[in-house]
Order: sequence, then structure tokens, then C-alpha cells
Amino acid sequence: MANGLAGETLRIDLTTGRIRRLPTDEALYRRWHGGRGITAKIIYDEVPRQADPLGPQNLFIVNAGIMSGCYIPAGSKVEFGSVSPLTNGPGDSNMGGHLGPALKFAGYDMIIFEGVSPKPVYLFVDNDTVELRDAGPYWGMKSLDCEKKLKEDWGEDFEIATIGPAAENGILFSCITHDFGRQAGRTGQGAVMGSKKLKAIAVRGNKSLQVNDLDSLKKQVTDIILRTKKHPNMVPWQKYGTAFFIQWSNSNAVIPAYNFQTTYYEDIDKIDGDKLVEKCLITHKACFGCWMNCGKYTRAVIPGKPEVHLEGPEYETGSLCGSNLGMKDINHVAYINWLLDNLGMDSMSGGGVIAFAMECFERGLITEKDLEGCTLKWGSVDDVEHFLEMVAYRRGIGDWFAGGTKRAAAKIGQGSEKFAMQVKGQEMSGYDGRWAPGMLLSYMTADIGAHHNRSWTITVDMAEGRESVEGRAKIVVYLQHIRPLFDTWCICRLFWGELDITPEEIVESLNHITGWGVTVGDALRTSEMIWNLNRCHFIERNRANGRTFDYPPARAWEDKIPTGPGKGKGLSLAQIDQMLDEYYAARGWDKNGNPTRELLDDLGIGYAAENLERLGFLGKPIPGGIPAVRGEKYKPKAF
Amino acid sequence: MVIYLKSGGELRTKLQPDVDYYTRRVETEAGLSLKDILAGIGINPAFVAFALKDGELKRLDYVPSEGDVITLQPPVSGG
Repeated sequence: MANGLAGETLRIDLTTGRIRRLPTDEALYRRWHGGRGITAKIIYDEVPRQADPLGPQNLFIVNAGIMSGCYIPAGSKVEFGSVSPLTNGPGDSNMGGHLGPALKFAGYDMIIFEGVSPKPVYLFVDNDTVELRDAGPYWGMKSLDCEKKLKEDWGEDFEIATIGPAAENGILFSCITHDFGRQAGRTGQGAVMGSKKLKAIAVRGNKSLQVNDLDSLKKQVTDIILRTKKHPNMVPWQKYGTAFFIQWSNSNAVIPAYNFQTTYYEDIDKIDGDKLVEKCLITHKACFGCWMNCGKYTRAVIPGKPEVHLEGPEYETGSLCGSNLGMKDINHVAYINWLLDNLGMDSMSGGGVIAFAMECFERGLITEKDLEGCTLKWGSVDDVEHFLEMVAYRRGIGDWFAGGTKRAAAKIGQGSEKFAMQVKGQEMSGYDGRWAPGMLLSYMTADIGAHHNRSWTITVDMAEGRESVEGRAKIVVYLQHIRPLFDTWCICRLFWGELDITPEEIVESLNHITGWGVTVGDALRTSEMIWNLNRCHFIERNRANGRTFDYPPARAWEDKIPTGPGKGKGLSLAQIDQMLDEYYAARGWDKNGNPTRELLDDLGIGYAAENLERLGFLGKPIPGGIPAVRGEKYKPKAF
Repeated sequence: MVIYLKSGGELRTKLQPDVDYYTRRVETEAGLSLKDILAGIGINPAFVAFALKDGELKRLDYVPSEGDVITLQPPVSGG
């Protein structure tokens, strides 16, 4: 195939062990662009709406994308997709490293797992050899340890993705780990993998990929390489990664502290990017085809504990497991990062769950008796370690937290729902939205629950006025179309999005690889189609109007920021409702947050309208019709 | 006193480079912090996460010296 595809898709029935090798459906890629687009389409079509996300009818899809491995910088991503057990809606998560390209070099664009294996297995792929092998010796191993063992057993040139004990025990925010520090963390993809008794995927490949126009691609890539090597912002990325952002986030009152109680952390100097480089850094680390090497391979050294090595903490983990937990030592933050990685839990949701539990302990809602005689105090790395072991192995009330903060709050009650910082069941990223209304709207409306990667608006909020909600909706909609394209094409947003490479240039690369001849407008429309399909899927599975699920926890409007530069700031429920109303209007949805037939037909997915109508949740026709343009590119006026 | 500021992205647009594609020459008073210098040329300091000089991280309270070449890093979201 001279279009960037490897040519084969594997369909694996884990119940029977049957492995089918099928030609990759090029038309499907053309329509859905791969990555997150294809996983969204397949799970919509094939997973029954009442299927248990941890049951045999859920699919677990590994998609290597259309652009990854194809002679471009940072074409490194691999996308995982399934119905999320955390949100009960369409879920996806991606990671960098080397697995995606390795899969394509072995000859496979996608692996679709179905069923449940009767015993633990791992998938072994060595070019044309594809086998399910006994994972008995590896089951129970922690993620990083398991990856190391598989490499010892099979060779350093195998790319490995593993789950840890958390996924084996059905912790709903479990992650998939690769390359000793890259994770597909969000939406509980690890839990789905674990529910299928799939311990790991080991891949080696050395075949070639063909692209449509190699000469043009080479010329363009050469230009991009030369430009980005000289780009002034490359060196900061190389030196500090995203951890540099911690100080800025604190100074501008968006960092979460003490479970999002406040947005300014007095001890930020002890856990920022400077401290990470000074105290923990071993070396810089890069993904396939990338010299940004934003990854930081570090050590955590704590007296009385063994020295551990990890990749991170990057910004999200640094904030959510740092200021959000009251930590005062970067080594402690790094150690918690390592605990989460090795147990196999998303460090973002993990930080949110620990913080929630800490606040519950502070308020006396859970006690030392509940915690096996231990405390769970702010800033205590020992307490966190003990608590995480309870959660990962579902000991005692650790079981309450296994489903994330939403489910834990439902069990604990006593008003704790107010400070379970999640939307749709997924914990928030490392930004507080009370003084960044566009960011709050981004969390509220993300298709996979609270997540910043779909839309990040903090600088927009600063430019437009942090106390105003005006105009945020259209910008959020636009960002929700353009940012997920990176996950659809399986390329890294940090490289391709932060170094002055234009969307037109990215699409040019896509066209050199595929020969599709698409425009940026075409790509945005595809992204909008994916977004709406996911919205319909979520509504169908959860059988309620979409608006029901789009609210943040009550802390977002009941608690003004108590300290720091943002003291006294916060939004009202009326403002939150206003943002939602404007968002739905900008999207062409009705006031209940449901897509309309007119919109779905316009996007070419009218079949989704039939399903919504059958369930009684089809959006009512909008007076005057749907907007002709959904989402507007942001032009900064005040900077 | 003359210093040189450089950056990419939207920050570059606001910087209005005049030396090369990324770099602007700024005449300023000695003794001012980077934050004050940015405000003086119409750039909201909140849109600079930190600065880099000779490969070393500098915060916005850094006071530049004659001839400093300073890279401005805009804030971005993580992955």
C-alpha cells in the first residue's frame, strides 16, 4: 500500500484464541483518518450499548495511525480505544514511545481484541509471527518490572506495552505502560486490557512502509527538520519538558492545590521544573523520530526507600501529584509518579483520587480505622504509598476508590460529591477552571470526561478576561476539532503543534503520505464527525440527555478560590449554564445537549440520528437551523 | 541598553521581530526586570511562562544585562 498503511489488521478473539489477519480497510481510514477516529467508529458499530465495558463484548483496539512511522518527525503515537469503564462512554488514550511505528513495521495497522481469554496471555508479534502466549509467569508483575522481564526474555528490540496489578484487579483508571515511562493513561484503557486477561503486547518489526509521494515528503520533512532545529523554543523543551510550566501555572492561579481547594501553592519552589532538573534528572528521553526529547528520565531518592527510576514527572503528574497532594519535595512527587506507573494507574486520575481521599480524611469522612491504622495526610509520601497499595489491590476501603472519585463519593456520601473533581467520571487535568472559564467549559464538554488535551484555553481566558464567559464556546468547539486530530493521525502535538508548523503543513504531510488530497477544512470536518459520533454513543449508552453529564462538581461554582492571586474568584452556576447554552448552540445541538438530525445528516452520520430517535434523545430541531460554521479559529486580540 | 528577545508562535507575532524571523532588538533602561521590559513593549508578561538565557532558566524577575539574548517560552498545555 503506498499510503502509509502497513496493510494488515489483526482481529483476535481472546475467548477462542483465534487470530484473523485481514486486509486493512483503506476506505475506513479515508473516512475516519485512523487513530481515534477509527476506534470511535468501530466501537460505535460493534459494541452493544448495554455491554459491560469490562466484559467480553467490549472491544479493545490498538491503532497505529496513518502517519506514524512514515518518515516524519514525531510520528510516534499509538492509540487505544474501547468503551471506557470509567465513563461508560467511548474512551480512547494514546501514548508516544515506539510501539505504534513498531506495529506498522511488523506489518499491522491495527489490532482489534474481543472476548476474554480463559487465562492470562500476552500477544507476541515478530513480523509475520503473531501468537497469543501464556502470560502466567508475568501476571501479577508490576508494569515496569514486567516490561523489563519481557525484554530480558525476548530482546531489547521488542517494543512492549504492559498493564500492572491495578488493571488486573479492575481498577477503572488503570493505564497501559510502555518504554519505561510512557502511558496511555486516560479513560481506563488498562482496565479493559486487564479485563480481557491480556497482560502485554510485545512487538518487533523491520518491514518498510510505502508512502504516496516520498520525494515531496522528503523535501518537506527536510525543511521542517531544519526549521525546528533552529526554533528558539526547542531548547527549553529539550531541557525542561513540560515541568517548566508548573511555576507559571501557580503564578497565574490555575494550579490545583489540596484537591482543587485553592489555586496557589506556597511551596511550589520545592516541586517545580527547576527542582526536577536539579535533584532528579538522569537524562533526557525521546520518542520515535523526535529530538525534542521532552521526556525526562529521573531518579527519586528518599531516605529509607530504594532509589527508583522513572520518566517524569511532567506537568500533569507534577501538579496533580505535587501541589494537589501538598507535597514538599520533588523526590516525593517523582516517587508517587513511579508508584502509579509501576502499579499501572493513570497518574492524572491517580492524583485526583489520592487528593480526594486526602480531603475526605481531613474532613473525617474516612478515618485511620478505615485506612488499616494509617493516616492519609497532605504531603505524606508514606501515606500515599500505603493508600495506593490499598487501592491497587482493593484492600478494605481501597475498593471504594477503585472506580475513581465519582464512585468513591457515591459510597462515602456526606457531601463529598461536591469535591470529587471529575466530569463524566474522569478526573480533571492539572488546571483549575474557576478563574479560567474556557478551561472549565473544556472539562465539562470533553467527550471522554474531564481532560485538557481536547481543548486548552487558559491563555485565551487570560486574553479575553478571566471573569467573563463570553465567547468561550466557539473557541472551545474549534479547539475540540483541531487538537484531537493529532490523536487521529497518531503524531505528537507537542512537536507538530508548538513549533510553528502550520495546520496546512501538517495536512500537506498527510497528503504526501496518503495521496488523499484533503484540506484543513476537510480534516476539521472529519474531526467534528468523530466528535458527534462519540456524543451520540455516550447518550445512547447512558440513556439520558447529554446535558445531564456536562456539569462539573459543585466546588466549581460554590467555592470561590480562597488564597493567592485568584482569591475570591469563581464562576456562578448561572454562568456555567450560560456557557453550556452557548456551547450547544455553537455545536448545533439542542438545549438538552443532544445532536440534531440536521447536524448528523450534514456530517454524514445520519444513522446515529436513527439510534438517538429510537431512544428518545434525538435533538429537537433548532429554530433557524444549525450554524453553518461550528467553532471559530481564535484570533488573539489582547495579548 | 540593548537586549534581544526571541520566541516562536503567537508570542513571536506580538514580539514583532526585526533582527531575524524570531528575534527583536529592544532598547531599554538598565535595571528593569524582564517583566517590566515586556510590559513596556506591549507584551502581557502572563503570556511568558519563563525565559532562557545562555541555556539557563530565568524567571520574569530577572534583570537583563547589555547584549543579553533571551528566549521567551510561551505557556502550553502538556500532553
